[in-house]
Amino acid sequence: MSPDPGLREVPFRGGGFAPGNRRIAAPLTFAALVLLWWVATARGWVSPLALPRPGEVASALADMVASGEIWRHLAASVRRLVVGWAIGASLGVAVGFAIGLSTLARSTALPLVSALFPIPKIALLPLFIVWFGIGEASKYATIAFGVFSPMAIAAFGGVDGVERSLIRMAQSFGVPNRDIVRKIVLPGAMPALLSGVRISASIGIILLTAAEMIGAEHGIGALVLSAGNLMQTDRLIAGVLILAGLGLIVAFLIGVAERRLLGWR
Amino acid sequence: MARVGRRTVLAGVAAGLLAGAFGSTAFAADKVTVGVLRFVSSGGLYLAVERGHFAAEGLEVELKFFEAAQPIAVAIASGDAEFGLTGITAGSLNLAGKGGLKIVASQGAEKKGFIGNQLVASNEAFGRGLDKPEKLAGATVAISQVGSTFHYQFGQIAAAKGFELSKISMKPLQSLPNMVAAVKTSQVDATILPTHIAGPMVDRGEAKIIAALSDIADYQYGALFAAPKAVAEKRDVVQRFVRAYQKGLADYGASLMRSDAGGKRVADEAAATAATQIAKYVYPSDPPAEGAAKVIASAPYCDPTGKLDLAGIEAQIAWYKSEKLVDAGVDAKAFVDLSFTR
Repeated sequence: MSPDPGLREVPFRGGGFAPGNRRIAAPLTFAALVLLWWVATARGWVSPLALPRPGEVASALADMVASGEIWRHLAASVRRLVVGWAIGASLGVAVGFAIGLSTLARSTALPLVSALFPIPKIALLPLFIVWFGIGEASKYATIAFGVFSPMAIAAFGGVDGVERSLIRMAQSFGVPNRDIVRKIVLPGAMPALLSGVRISASIGIILLTAAEMIGAEHGIGALVLSAGNLMQTDRLIAGVLILAGLGLIVAFLIGVAERRLLGWR
Repeated sequence: MARVGRRTVLAGVAAGLLAGAFGSTAFAADKVTVGVLRFVSSGGLYLAVERGHFAAEGLEVELKFFEAAQPIAVAIASGDAEFGLTGITAGSLNLAGKGGLKIVASQGAEKKGFIGNQLVASNEAFGRGLDKPEKLAGATVAISQVGSTFHYQFGQIAAAKGFELSKISMKPLQSLPNMVAAVKTSQVDATILPTHIAGPMVDRGEAKIIAALSDIADYQYGALFAAPKAVAEKRDVVQRFVRAYQKGLADYGASLMRSDAGGKRVADEAAATAATQIAKYVYPSDPPAEGAAKVIASAPYCDPTGKLDLAGIEAQIAWYKSEKLVDAGVDAKAFVDLSFTR
């Protein structure tokens, strides 16, 4: 088929931005950073007081693995993260759905959530100690409190974003409200919920260090703090790397959940 | 004629400027910055400032106030301060071991017969029978931070009373107010607090003192730290600084460390004068008389010559190493400099 004179063939341009994933790129980025770090410390560009060498950090990590110390820290931190996040996220989702579905909740709870979100949870730590003690409860509370608001906001945003026509159609077919929530609203809000999970899990990891400032003998946050107090910069960086690793693992798990739960898209 | 005249005038002006410049360096005081806590244990330094001992040595001292020991050590290592007066912690020993600090003179100490820190039990734990340091095994205690002087003192109690330190559960609470709150609300069984905090708590019935740390073991817990660069390149300035600080320590000892026949601290005119001068820095928001009374009631022992207890520092390093809080390569000989206090 020959093109009409005066008409120009136009290549397809609407490909959109499609960021793919080159598997090799992420490890390469990390390797380049470590190489830069190694060269900077080995050549003396950075004083050993300011930054330990990668080898020292690696041997600090190896010592922690060999003595089993790292597992005690990880076990304590992961438990705090899971329990604290689960409490905060389930409350947040419940309140977020209520805001998305009911006028009463929207007019009462929404301003409350908006007011709670910017409160620095670290500033409330002394109060949490008075309320919940210096044991595990205050640590769960710190994380739960920090996770609650972003989850609530993600949930009600997700509910608001569900196609209205789908809900109206279900209502006109006489589907009970419970089923509308379960079969239309929940799957429709799922992408927003999962991005809320992504953000709130990272906030949980950040708050882990704050939660473990008070009265924690074990935990990655406690490890980082005590290494800082002791000026053991190799253990400090090792602890920070473990926190970063925790972040990567959480991100990976959420990626798996996304592929499973959003397969229908 | 006029040309020569102008040159002569210029030369004269230049000579005058040069003479002025050199003259002023000869008379200008050397400026040094000291990191310090608002604690009575730094009283010797405050007296040296107030009584002009630093000025007499040709030093202009700028005091930088900190809230905790650790930032002072870091400030010296980073070059923000030439000197620092604070507690010897595992953190400062590690930093000194890496070449970031030198120790050149002493500060506060626990010494038998003098006021120091107190072992404080919560009312609930005391009711359960925690009335002696021997009974601390199995207890939960609050400390400020891992590797702090409080941590070390619990180690000294365990060693003196013959139980394993691992029998005590340590809760690092980051600050003194948190430690006070935890023991008041019985969330921990015991803690160690300075007398000026422990005394009023006991008076209000909020806790019980069960031992004085000075009765358990001697311990020189404070030191004058100096930047290695200053020690290497400005020995003369460091020597003059230490000399003036020693004069302040001698004043501190002569006015505040005297006891009467009954073992009670002498609170005469000389003590009141020194205490008022110290209170200006330690309790800046209190009325002078009130602050001075607090200083007299709580001033801890400081060696009046500023001499360092090298064996004590070595014992601390050995203990911290056994607890894996100080790196194995740390050696006191590399950073404790006794030459300034000879």
